[in-house]
Amino acid sequence: MTRQPLRSPAGAAGVVVYFRTMAAFALAWAALSAWTANTALLPSPLAVGRAIVELAADLELFKHAAISLGRMVASLAIAVALAVPLGLLMGTRRLAEDLLDPVVEVLRPISGIAWIPLALFMFGIGNALPVFIMTYAAFFPILLGTISGVRGVDRRLVDAARTMGVPARTIMTTIVVPAATPSLLVAIRLGVASAWTAVVAAELIGAPSGLGYAIEWYRELLMTPQVMAFIAMIGLLGFLFDAALRALSRRLTPWAPEARAR
Amino acid sequence: MEPLSAAPKLRLHGVGKRFALRSGADAVALDGFTLDVRRGEFLVIVGPSGCGKTTVLNLLAGLELPTSGTLAIDGRAIAAPGADRGVMFQDYALFPWRTVWGNVEYGLVYGPAGRGLDRAARDARVRHYVDLVGLTGSENKYPHQLSGGMRQRVALARLMANEPEVLLMDEPLAALDAQTRLILQDELLRIWGQDRPAEARRTVVFITHAIDEAVFLADRVAVMTSHPGRLKALLDVPLARPRNDMTRTHPDFQALAQHIWGLIRDEAYRATVT
Amino acid sequence: MTAAASGALAPRLLRGAAVPLLLLAVWSAATALYPTVRTPTPAKVALAAVEMTASGDLPLGVLQSLGRVFGGFAVAAALAIPLGLAMGSVRGVERNVDPLVESFRPIAAIAILPLAILWLGTGTSAAVSIVAYAAFFPIVVNTVAGVKRVDPTLLRAAATMGVDRLTVLRTVIVPGALPSIGVGLRIALGVAWTAIIAAELAVGAKAGGGGSGGIGQMMFVFYAYSIELNRIVVCMIAVGLVAFVLDRGLRAILARLMPWSH
Repeated sequence: MTRQPLRSPAGAAGVVVYFRTMAAFALAWAALSAWTANTALLPSPLAVGRAIVELAADLELFKHAAISLGRMVASLAIAVALAVPLGLLMGTRRLAEDLLDPVVEVLRPISGIAWIPLALFMFGIGNALPVFIMTYAAFFPILLGTISGVRGVDRRLVDAARTMGVPARTIMTTIVVPAATPSLLVAIRLGVASAWTAVVAAELIGAPSGLGYAIEWYRELLMTPQVMAFIAMIGLLGFLFDAALRALSRRLTPWAPEARAR
Repeated sequence: MEPLSAAPKLRLHGVGKRFALRSGADAVALDGFTLDVRRGEFLVIVGPSGCGKTTVLNLLAGLELPTSGTLAIDGRAIAAPGADRGVMFQDYALFPWRTVWGNVEYGLVYGPAGRGLDRAARDARVRHYVDLVGLTGSENKYPHQLSGGMRQRVALARLMANEPEVLLMDEPLAALDAQTRLILQDELLRIWGQDRPAEARRTVVFITHAIDEAVFLADRVAVMTSHPGRLKALLDVPLARPRNDMTRTHPDFQALAQHIWGLIRDEAYRATVT
Repeated sequence: MTAAASGALAPRLLRGAAVPLLLLAVWSAATALYPTVRTPTPAKVALAAVEMTASGDLPLGVLQSLGRVFGGFAVAAALAIPLGLAMGSVRGVERNVDPLVESFRPIAAIAILPLAILWLGTGTSAAVSIVAYAAFFPIVVNTVAGVKRVDPTLLRAAATMGVDRLTVLRTVIVPGALPSIGVGLRIALGVAWTAIIAAELAVGAKAGGGGSGGIGQMMFVFYAYSIELNRIVVCMIAVGLVAFVLDRGLRAILARLMPWSH
């Protein structure tokens, strides 16, 4: 028996603790910023707050966020469409696994980011580059997670269906896929985390828009409050996307322990 | 339903199962197992852990193949799982993403047992068995919301809804606490139909390591020994049906249980020190 | 090995090699059919690999990147493990620190890079801090999880024997949490390696041909300045190889330290 992982203490108490900690952090930050007295080097929390409000008001914050988010969604869709069927195949058919595993194992350690220079040649600067890099980054966690999810399906469930005379193809769709879905959703969350990391690098180097691009743009202008504003946005969106997937998990698979834990 | 005739429902003849261990040696799970199971009887196989009882069940279910000997149902060889031999597993094997209703109707929706049944007929059958096992009102619950005893009932309902000719049960009550076990033993006999005439009952092969459970439930008890798994004795249980709490205190009950224990005791002792 | 197993090995090797060889063949054929000066071919890549290794450029780049990775990784571990242990065992610590950790975790290290460059320049210290930031979170998260996974009845048993809290921490909690900590370290090492490549790429992109070396830097130079696609591919392969070796190496070390788990 394990102790339950700590979600922030439920409800109001959790919110209080959250704000208390963040307030303490903001105070320490403000003190440090006052001490360095250089807005370009370390702006105060207030300066950053103002930057956020300004950027939100003229919608620039949301424009870039929407672009990055759009790329994230597109990459996820492509990665899932490729990795899940492939993972189902490799998880159930030994032959497919023997054939494809070497290629997967060779490509996997080469992170999506390492592809950027080559991808710059292939796609140039634009939308295609970040989407390619992000799809690549999301692909492997989802593939591997799908394979392990399929392998982890309780044998007894398949046996039970066999003893009811259910044909193999039906077992695949009515038993294996539902049973593997919780692992699949976890894998997708990992894929998203991986791709969201890659998006910043890809946009920093190879895109004319998006949050990564915005960070670099304002850094070159030494407008650090704006840089921090966009960094905060990256953090917020990453958190929200993951929270959304977790909620989806709980809705789709309420019966799974993975969905009920953190 | 066919009458209790002479032809056995299940016939195991000289069945052996051996498999290779990683060390290269062979392990013999079963050796020369021969047994006839009569139509409509409740046969219980009892023996110490590791004596091959579950292997017998898996072979009858068609989930494994023997390395020697033959198994047959109504004279047909058993080579694969099928809806004619339903199985209840020790850990229930309920589909966690399906409700109670969804689990019970699964075999009827996707398997041959439901062929020829229209939606209404299927729902009626599921309703009948859900009520029979006492789960009325819980149809829309998920397995993770149920207690162990309730899950057991779902597994039983799912098994019976397919109306298989033979029911194979692998230590179905092992995971339950002692009190729930006693209740479910009664329930099992009721659902199987011990109150009804013999012709109306289905054939059951039931595995357990609890001797009193074996004597309480069975028409005949097959006692196995291990290393290798062999049939040691086949005993009639002359206790009258229907059976209830009084049965357990009957002197014949105690005598038979003692006798069976005497057959297994030495092996059981050795298992605790090796 | 029994006859059966060795008989199965040969066909498996063949199947494993089939797809990679096929892909190599297709690649060679495609470049032969549509030759352009720049397109990388297997032959040219192999040649470039030999040249770069012989000249010492490749090993030097790898060592520079590795040095930064190890530096950052060590810093991260030194901070994250004690913090994780504290968070996992003392409710109060976790409650108050968790909001900070969870707020920054979705912010990828690469997003912090512009700030790091701002504060520390384009040199090694910026790179090391990025790596440390990236490696920090997986280690903390997994250490906390590891501590939580320790069976509470073990802790109660120790308490009933009158053992004081610190000794319990040292003799029960830490060994119990080690497998999880190991997992965190492995993830962190992979993340750290990806982060350094990204950081070096980005620094290379922004600092022009300057900056301070490393594989990522090399890749960017080959993209933007000498335009040598073959060399880029060699670097990518090197990135993958090093990632693979790092993971296997750490796994072996951990297996040595914890023979009771795997």
